Amino acid sequence: MTFQDHIRRSLRTRVMLLVLVTTVSALLLSGAGLVIYDLRSYERQWTNDMVATAEIVARASAPALAFNDRRTASGDLSVLRTRSRILGAALYTRDGELFATYQQPGMKIPFPDHPEPNGYSVAGDQMVVFRRVVENNEPIGTVYLRTLYRPYDRLRDYLTIIVGVMVASFAAAALFSGWLQSAVTRPILEVARVARDVREKRDYSLRAPKSTEDEIGELVDAFNEMLAEAGRRAEAMREADRRKDEFLATLAHELRNPLAPIRNALEILRLTKDDPERSRVAREMMERQLVQMVRLVDDLLDVSRITTGKLAVRKAVVDLQGIVRDAIETVRPFIEARRHVLDVRMDDEVIRVEADRTRLGQVFSNLLNNAAKYTHPGGRIELSVSREGSAAVVRVKDNGIGLAPESLGAIFEMFVQVDRSLERSQAGLGVGLTLARRLVELHEGDLQVASEGTGKGSQFTVRLPLALGNLAKDPAAAAEAATHPTSRRVLIADDNEDFAASLADLLSANGHDVRVVHDGQQALEVAPAFEPQVAFLDIGMPKVHGYELARRLRALPQTTRCVLVAVTGWGQEDDRRRARDAGFDRHLVKPVDPRQVAAIVEGY
Amino acid sequence: MACAQEAPARREASEPGVKAAFLYKFASYVEWPASAFAGPNSPFVIGVLGAEEVASELERIVQGKSVHGHPAAMRRVKEGESLAGVHVLFVGRGLMNLRGILRGAQQPGTLLVTDVDRGLEMGSAINFVFADDRVGFEVSVEAAERNGLKISSRMLNVARRVVSR
Repeated sequence: MTFQDHIRRSLRTRVMLLVLVTTVSALLLSGAGLVIYDLRSYERQWTNDMVATAEIVARASAPALAFNDRRTASGDLSVLRTRSRILGAALYTRDGELFATYQQPGMKIPFPDHPEPNGYSVAGDQMVVFRRVVENNEPIGTVYLRTLYRPYDRLRDYLTIIVGVMVASFAAAALFSGWLQSAVTRPILEVARVARDVREKRDYSLRAPKSTEDEIGELVDAFNEMLAEAGRRAEAMREADRRKDEFLATLAHELRNPLAPIRNALEILRLTKDDPERSRVAREMMERQLVQMVRLVDDLLDVSRITTGKLAVRKAVVDLQGIVRDAIETVRPFIEARRHVLDVRMDDEVIRVEADRTRLGQVFSNLLNNAAKYTHPGGRIELSVSREGSAAVVRVKDNGIGLAPESLGAIFEMFVQVDRSLERSQAGLGVGLTLARRLVELHEGDLQVASEGTGKGSQFTVRLPLALGNLAKDPAAAAEAATHPTSRRVLIADDNEDFAASLADLLSANGHDVRVVHDGQQALEVAPAFEPQVAFLDIGMPKVHGYELARRLRALPQTTRCVLVAVTGWGQEDDRRRARDAGFDRHLVKPVDPRQVAAIVEGY
Repeated sequence: MACAQEAPARREASEPGVKAAFLYKFASYVEWPASAFAGPNSPFVIGVLGAEEVASELERIVQGKSVHGHPAAMRRVKEGESLAGVHVLFVGRGLMNLRGILRGAQQPGTLLVTDVDRGLEMGSAINFVFADDRVGFEVSVEAAERNGLKISSRMLNVARRVVSR
């Protein structure tokens, strides 16, 4: 690791460096300034001092010079012995002759032969001063002083002090950065360590320790909250994963379940060609299993719609009792198979709601199916339809296995099945209640569950807003239409000949006039003369596909008012939209329910 | 211990010359009362009695000089002459009635300088002595003060002998 890397990576090093650089540069700058200032003032001061000394000596020795008294002059000079830095001194007469001298013991200094004018000069570590002796305004001689001049001693002292301060600063910086590490970097490193641990161990219960209430403390708090949130999300994802896995297992099981009886039935059909009674039983068994499979696949499609948020309803004003009755009829075989008693109470007055008949029927059949499934055989199921204030209320109550209080919220979650011990053939995919609640919500209503506890039965309540207007159709006329079907001209275009034939048979049996073609081209040829009132068109046909066919039929004067029904294997919202755009009135997903086909043809 | 050494002796100037120079220099170390001068520009007079050599040397020395702010002047004084306005009076050694002269010369504002043995005892304030091959002097502070003069202690340092009260 290079030094730059180290600096970039360690906050402590950076702080220490900052402190050191600041301190050292401050010290060096101020030290240099002080030294320069001091050396200058030292020189000035020392010079002044020496000049003053020379002046004093001059004044003291003026009489000795004046009266030519060398002995006294020498005595005067020897006073300088108290000044240890003065190495030597001399007096010169006015004529420039050496008059008297003094030098420090042990010193042997050369005295200049002749005095110089007033002034001083520095040579090496010594300073030399000349000073005129003046008496009565007349020069009578010269004083000469030689002294030690050692500014570098001071410089050295200064450097020693600066180095000392620097060492102290380094120590302070080390202490400071140490303290800073414990206050700042250590908690941060701790947070980083915990983050690493969490990443490695996937343990979201780990928490970074909080030691201060300052900004670092806030960081630690925020980090811990984030961990908690991440933990919750990870847990939620695990839970969703687990449920999806269970769902896939259930799905595989559920799809496989009906296959065994169907295979058996096929075998029976093959073996008992000549026994109509046993063939009928086998067919019926296959039919029931097929219905079961179709329901499963429908559920799957609904799951897909729920998860992608594409579950949609097409509402019209409908009568609630009628929908409930249809739902009861759908589930009745299952209820009877489980030997339940079904008690139905409905208001006599017709309750009208704005709803998608099929989807709302699905809600009630899901609730009834659930009640029957989660009630031990021979139980009791009560169903009531009533009007409470401005709401229509449907209650489905059973005396079945009930729900623990803690499961009340969970049962509406996708893929949740409260009792996994139930017979698998009845288990379903665990999406029924999710779908039911979602559908009720799409009708601006709500679905609630209540249970007094495990084993004490449960009650589901659906509330829907009442429709504002009256029922669109006259109920009497509707009943007339249902009881006296009239013959319609029906065109079936499908390249699946079996499907086309079976649908044709079904409609012919109900007294309708049916034509079958196997591609779009044929359909266009037949349509103008036949003038169909209802047309079932496959989408994926050779020559002219369903969408194109629909557009062309809409363009023909003979079929412009024809009811066009798309029949496809694809029931996604996108497919429905494309069908609508092409001019289709209805959209059926294979396998089609014969009753739905009858309803469309007869409802025309 | 500090050691002082004397520079090699140079050839001495003539004795009268040295004495003349000393006479002039004494004035710097003695304080005269203001009453000793007639006015701010009146001369500082050094009188010489009975020592022609010294007088002529001194005459040369004081040329253009001043003492205590007064122009310096040399005056040859004869016996019995008035001494008014004479600040320093040097009396030579060859005079008969030295003692009498000195007595007559005692007056405020006049510094008497002699050049004889026991000069101080005869009443002079400064007396030249010759010893160690050079001219020196001795001082009587008392005699000076009698005439209202103060002799600087700096000068006393250099004197061979100081007589005080």
